[in-house]
Amino acid sequence: MIDLKELILSKDNLIPLLRKLKKDARLIAPIKNEYGDTLFSEIDDIDAMKIDLHNQPQASLKPFFLPQQETLAGYTVNNGEYSFTPPDKAQDTIFFGVRSCDLTALLYMDLIFSKPSKDATYYDRRNHSLIITLGCNQPFANCFCEATGSGPYLEYGYGLQFIDLGDRYFVSAGRGKGADLLKKWAYFFREVNEEDQKKRYQLFLEARGQFTRNIQVAHACQKLQEEAVPEEIWETLSRRCYDCGGCAYVCPTCTCYSIDDMAQGTNHGIRVRSWDACTSSGFTRMAGGHNPTDRSRYALKRRFLHKLKHDYAHHGKPSCTGCGRCVDICFGGVDITTFIDLLTTQKTT
Amino acid sequence: MNNNFIPSPAKICEIIHENEQISTFRLKLINTSIPFSFLPGQFLMLSVPHCGEAAISISSSPTALPIIDLSIRKAGTLTNAMHMMKAGNQVGIRGPYGNPFPMKNFVNRDLLFVAGGIGLAPLKSVIDYCLFHSNSVHDAAQSITLLYGSRSPSDIAFQSVTSNWQEQGVNCRLTVDEADTDWQGNVGLVTDLLPRHNVTDNTTALVCGPPVMIRFIIAQLSAMGCQDEAIFTTLERHMKCGVGTCGHCHLDGKMVCMDGPVFSLSQLKTMDVMELAQ
Repeated sequence: MIDLKELILSKDNLIPLLRKLKKDARLIAPIKNEYGDTLFSEIDDIDAMKIDLHNQPQASLKPFFLPQQETLAGYTVNNGEYSFTPPDKAQDTIFFGVRSCDLTALLYMDLIFSKPSKDATYYDRRNHSLIITLGCNQPFANCFCEATGSGPYLEYGYGLQFIDLGDRYFVSAGRGKGADLLKKWAYFFREVNEEDQKKRYQLFLEARGQFTRNIQVAHACQKLQEEAVPEEIWETLSRRCYDCGGCAYVCPTCTCYSIDDMAQGTNHGIRVRSWDACTSSGFTRMAGGHNPTDRSRYALKRRFLHKLKHDYAHHGKPSCTGCGRCVDICFGGVDITTFIDLLTTQKTT
Repeated sequence: MNNNFIPSPAKICEIIHENEQISTFRLKLINTSIPFSFLPGQFLMLSVPHCGEAAISISSSPTALPIIDLSIRKAGTLTNAMHMMKAGNQVGIRGPYGNPFPMKNFVNRDLLFVAGGIGLAPLKSVIDYCLFHSNSVHDAAQSITLLYGSRSPSDIAFQSVTSNWQEQGVNCRLTVDEADTDWQGNVGLVTDLLPRHNVTDNTTALVCGPPVMIRFIIAQLSAMGCQDEAIFTTLERHMKCGVGTCGHCHLDGKMVCMDGPVFSLSQLKTMDVMELAQ
């Protein structure tokens, strides 16, 4: 009896395996589009689409679980009767080529959307999903997942975790669906030998040594528990925040949303949930115009404190996964790494 | 599957015109088999066709169920649309959400309510609840005093309610910022009324109104010797979900919709709150 928790998949067998998986579920993987952007996309024809495992997907998995816009309910007003209909059901989906940071973010979203009761549409999608991750042997330019404890390899949370050993993948199975899948398609795999184990460990150590950015995340989290942030830091950051919301939209753990009605006729419409950003000026403004947040000074305070102070206090770890996407997107240069640098290099008075 | 965001239809049975800006909408759930209960201080997410949702405090007492009152001031798109509704029309509600006032702590206490404008709505639920239990040995408050400020005599809401309370033994003191020619009562801010009242070890204060009013009243109460644990307020924040996930009411690590909206002063002092800002 072979151990089904860790197996080796020859790279020649990858496409045949994915072809099998695609028969039972929707398959999503990073695909480079005609504009050169690598994005998670649904694979229609596995032979025609080239899966891109060399570049970081520009968007995280977030849109597949908390879509940029989704219908929470339909509504009608008929002869004075106001009624609501539930949203569409999710379909079985397998995600392939997911990076460690993005799965860590999904595990965080699981937590957020589980209280006080499970968010219906989020958990419907989550329960119909299987995540196959790919450990990072080479961090991308802005990555700092080692500092946030969310990579480059993962210990848990995945359905399957792939590690690229050159001509083959070292595959680890999580509990449940991942292990079932290995059992079902066992004939694509072979057993792990000592050389595979050694190579995996060696690559892991090398990957950890290749981070170019040294972001003091743990130090920042600790410091925020103990002392207030100097006012001048908030003001410096706010001056360079242009209210675009880009950081929140690309962030795999930014889950703030808005709910609005979209009329589709005089008698019916849909209730839509869409992404929102706490950095935007209208986020806290109440009907009548009163706003408890002074954006000119504190535009980024809520976002950074939530991720590094409050979530650290509540969950024991920050809700930044070190994916570095906000570094790329922020044209004011006031992403979370700027804040951490300002905070941790500032002298304690 | 639990459809967290699907509201239950409710019928507007009656509309009580409080003043030019505020009306009380008396609702009843269409499907009476849906179990529904709440405690004073909790709120609902109210749906008005094509307008989305807004968080609204329940202004009636749970003892008045199945009737649910929402007292609403015209402030934005949804509330203005609500004011266009007629008796017999339907709205949607989901909830109740948030922490209520700790009603059990109010037994045998001297309750001092301080309200400004529409801020009386959530406190009205508490007062009605206390009056319902006023003859009960185990549940009654010792005394009830209300200090209620409005901009002008025509802005006073809940007129018939306050005179009814007065008849039931509530010490109601009304004041207006600006009088008109007919006004016989007190003129000035509600903060001017407070020093005329005794605050003792047995006083519990419940405060709701504009942030600036909350700030000054709380400071006054503290100066008069009221304990932090005996001062309560309920905060108003922009809210979209009511269940702690949309992020809009996030307040220094807490969610107003889940951890509030009712807070004691001792809780507020641990947070970075506009209502306490200097």
